[in-house]
Amino acid sequence: MTREVEWKSAEDEKLPIVMPGILDIPGDGGQPSLLGGSCPSCGVRYFPRPPRCRRCLGPVEESSVGAEGTVYSFTVIRTRAPLGLPEPYAIGYVDLKESGLRVFCLLDPQAVEEFRIGVPVRLAVGALGHNVHGSSCLRPYFMAPAPGPGGVA
Amino acid sequence: MGAACVAGVGLIPFGKHVERTLVDMGSEAAYRALQDAGIEPSRVGLGVFACAAAPRLLGEVTSGQNIFWEVGINRIPIVNVENACTSGSTGFVLAYNAIAAGQVDVAIVVGAEKLCIPGVGLLNSGETELDTQMGMVTPAGFAMRATRYIHEFGASAAQLASVAVKNRAHAVLNPYAHFREAVTLEEVLSSPTVADPLTRMQCCPMSDGAAAVVLCSQEEARRRRRTVGVKAAILCTGSYDNPADLDRWETDYRGCNQGYEAAGIGPEDLHVVECHDAFTIAEILHYEALGLCGPGEGANLAVRGETRLGGRIPVNVSGGLIGRGHPPGATGLAQVHEIVTQLRGEGGARQVRNAKVGLAHCMGGDKDGDTKSFTAIVLAS
Repeated sequence: MTREVEWKSAEDEKLPIVMPGILDIPGDGGQPSLLGGSCPSCGVRYFPRPPRCRRCLGPVEESSVGAEGTVYSFTVIRTRAPLGLPEPYAIGYVDLKESGLRVFCLLDPQAVEEFRIGVPVRLAVGALGHNVHGSSCLRPYFMAPAPGPGGVA
Repeated sequence: MGAACVAGVGLIPFGKHVERTLVDMGSEAAYRALQDAGIEPSRVGLGVFACAAAPRLLGEVTSGQNIFWEVGINRIPIVNVENACTSGSTGFVLAYNAIAAGQVDVAIVVGAEKLCIPGVGLLNSGETELDTQMGMVTPAGFAMRATRYIHEFGASAAQLASVAVKNRAHAVLNPYAHFREAVTLEEVLSSPTVADPLTRMQCCPMSDGAAAVVLCSQEEARRRRRTVGVKAAILCTGSYDNPADLDRWETDYRGCNQGYEAAGIGPEDLHVVECHDAFTIAEILHYEALGLCGPGEGANLAVRGETRLGGRIPVNVSGGLIGRGHPPGATGLAQVHEIVTQLRGEGGARQVRNAKVGLAHCMGGDKDGDTKSFTAIVLAS
């Protein structure tokens, strides 16, 4: 099963990302990661990248904050879904291995019952729901359990 | 602290008021508070109107001027406040500060909300925020706290649900409550799931309603009876440092401690508490932040009956948000209304015996795993 590459269909590739600047999607079909920021003077990591460092107010450099982590907490929403998201859909907080940040993100909509606290997860991108303008868009989500080498679950 | 007093309170029953306007509800609550205080509108030096969602849902802005005009209050400074679920209690803090600073002798705060509008979905913390765009809705934020709490402390779904049973039982005794029927543990647990593990009856309803409070200086209070002293009125916000601990709610603990310090009391001095039980898990976490029990012990408190009417420290005898209902702009002031009613000994069937010191605790909005706004108001007779 190769759910994580579904978004690469010719049509999905043209879709906008739900919010600009939050994803690094390699052109060669490699592992996508969350794009955030890092302050060169304070060392503070951010997701998403803020316009300036909230500690020193200096510029923040764009940097990946990670693609892998473990689930800190999660829930499955079983009422009317906003933004054209699937019903039900799952969300959670993920502790990222690379940056140590705890980020809020969607969880794999095709495996909503599979998540538990502590399970390892890996980032994927797919056409999920619509954006503020009402058009279909790409959203990042974490998949569990983490797929093996080669990105195949 | 202790520079101001509550001179009067007013409330209209919470529920679905499809036929009523925001101005209509707000001005009735204002009228009731002025009558209760026995204060002429011309004596009021500051008017604060609080509402969370009217500009977005109703397209109505600066409603305060319309509301106060209906009860003969004009010419004076009027401020419209939005601070999510703490809009009303934030208005209270502003009015308190104006009196404490000696700017005015009398101030009125009105909070109103109209949420029962066809087609309105779950509330969120702002359409343009990334969390919202990634599917965050208010119940889900609390559901994730509950998932984590159950994982860390071994709490059960039934323990969480017992908070709803308690607050709905209290609401039966409150003529202002949205829900007037008691529910059983089985009914709470078998109601439809909104976000795992929270079922619908563990979530507060979206309500219409209004509440108002008249505050006055201590000097003014000396000429009046039935006033209640304000020992602390705290407003604070989160640090939003990453990572946020969902079960040791930094802003909640810090805000409660600020409230206790300002009032010169501790949790053991409280006789009655109204807290922001938007969801069952929230009340449990607030028990812990308020110091009514230790971390991880909150789930047992409601089960043991310690926080029900007649228990060691009754919490949300009004029914709370879960039973009394939740019109966000009015909620913080409805909490003050309840504490004032209790401290005056006018609680009727839901009166807490010998209540002399009470605390109204409110939180509003979500940002990065924390609250956007926190208020704690300590009152003493």
